[in-house]
Amino acid sequence: MSDNIQNLQKSLSERLPQCSVKIRKHGGVELNSSKENLVGVLAHLREHFGYRHLSHISCVDWLEQNQFELVYILWNYESRIQLFVKVRLARENGSGISIRHLWPQADTYEREIAEMYGLPFDGNENPRELILEDWDAMPPMRRDFDTRAYSKEAFYDRPGREDAKDVRSVISGRSGEEIPEIAIPYTRK
Amino acid sequence: MREKETTLYLGPQHPGITGNMMVKLKVTGDTIVRAETHVGYLHRGFEKLMEVRNWMQVFPIVCRICVPEPDPNEENLARAIETLEGREVPERAQYIRVMVLELARLASYLLWFGGQSGSAGLYTMPQWSVGDRDYILDLFEELTGGRVYHMYIWAGGVRRDLPEGFADRVLRVMDYLEKRLKHYDNLMLDNSIFQKRAQGVGVIDREKALDWGIVGPPLRGCGFKHDVRIDDPYLVYDKLKFEVPTETGCDVWARALVRRREFEQSISIIRQVMEKMPGGDFYNKVPNPLHWKVPAGDVYVKTESARGEFGYYVVSDGSDKPRRVHVRGPAYVHGITLLEHLLQGANLADVSFIMNSLGTCPPEMER
Repeated sequence: MSDNIQNLQKSLSERLPQCSVKIRKHGGVELNSSKENLVGVLAHLREHFGYRHLSHISCVDWLEQNQFELVYILWNYESRIQLFVKVRLARENGSGISIRHLWPQADTYEREIAEMYGLPFDGNENPRELILEDWDAMPPMRRDFDTRAYSKEAFYDRPGREDAKDVRSVISGRSGEEIPEIAIPYTRK
Repeated sequence: MREKETTLYLGPQHPGITGNMMVKLKVTGDTIVRAETHVGYLHRGFEKLMEVRNWMQVFPIVCRICVPEPDPNEENLARAIETLEGREVPERAQYIRVMVLELARLASYLLWFGGQSGSAGLYTMPQWSVGDRDYILDLFEELTGGRVYHMYIWAGGVRRDLPEGFADRVLRVMDYLEKRLKHYDNLMLDNSIFQKRAQGVGVIDREKALDWGIVGPPLRGCGFKHDVRIDDPYLVYDKLKFEVPTETGCDVWARALVRRREFEQSISIIRQVMEKMPGGDFYNKVPNPLHWKVPAGDVYVKTESARGEFGYYVVSDGSDKPRRVHVRGPAYVHGITLLEHLLQGANLADVSFIMNSLGTCPPEMER
């Protein structure tokens, strides 16, 4: 298997000199591409290297570096080697590039990344909304989206649940009933 | 006279829909012209929640990603962390994990037997198979404390060893399920109503299935042999003997036959596991979970679940919390791209029938 991986790395470096190719520590091969080359690289991998199965498209927010990283995970049914194609994009006003003409299921991934990260895809404009409905706040999967602050603003506390008070003591205070002995050890002081 | 198109909203609360999702249908008469999957009724923001919890706290979240078969989630996450850390898993724990995964597969198939025949109007089958599934849930309850969500597999191994006499009870349930299979055949697969409903319905062409990222029984129902357990073996699957059944019909019937034959394979796997399981440790202890940091890196791990390739892309930045956990459920492709395609031109009565055959599962589509 390791021979196969080395051969693959060698032939990938020869055929796709615009990408940096490396063998991954945890198995498989990784290609780093630029956005401009991405569609060509993926199409080439599909047509000439037998990478027919698109397992997954993921997006990682590297807030510190002000970049998004798109990860395309491919699988070859014959050689059984996993391939990762990674592309870094600008976080602000950046855009990905659609590959739904190569793999139709990519459309769903692109719809999700567009609404969850606010990263549009060239060639997949105005995607149908997938999970979020009428969302107008910051895209929620971005690292700087504060879930607690958002929920504080969007929802109100149920009476008795303010300040994360113990509900049992509030209820017993309200109705005058006593906390049963068995519950006392678990009641917040 | 030109027939008018009508819009129908099937779901999110509909007995034929496999969970909380909606299919918006344009129909003329009872023929579907166009279908659109609408999800979002079950989005719990799990992936975001995982980013603000430490590695150990992520385990109770992941099992809730798939209700009928939660264990592949736990196994995937545990294996991803172990791969990043380079942590060894004791062999006994690996065998126990295989046993749990296969029991979960059986439980999931029993639920599917019920759903698939229930959507064809055969209502005896769901009562029987869901009843029989309870024997497996009883085993899970004894082993893990939970019937549906187990939180049993974690990084480094499993949470506790098998209770005394557990192996016997597992084997007894396997014998029982094997005997029940002929009754299931009588009720479902040998039933001419089921055959007529299933044959030639929901056909996906083999080449298209390969290009579209279809996995699991729908792909094997197109005559293509692909199973993560064989192609990219994990745990101790390479030490076990089993077959990967395929059919060539590409329709609902072929998928049903594939699942029915896999059921027998899973029983055989569990028997082998019980026979070969070594003694020894079941857990390679992780450090204090509050100060547990996982080395930086990214990894994609996958399991063959009852519905196909279940993948996890896990990224660590070297801190005590995951940077990103992204789940690839088979239904993400089956339930949206493929379902919308297969429903075009289908009969209105076949919607839930086709959905069941693809293993559509909304909780893993939205997470």
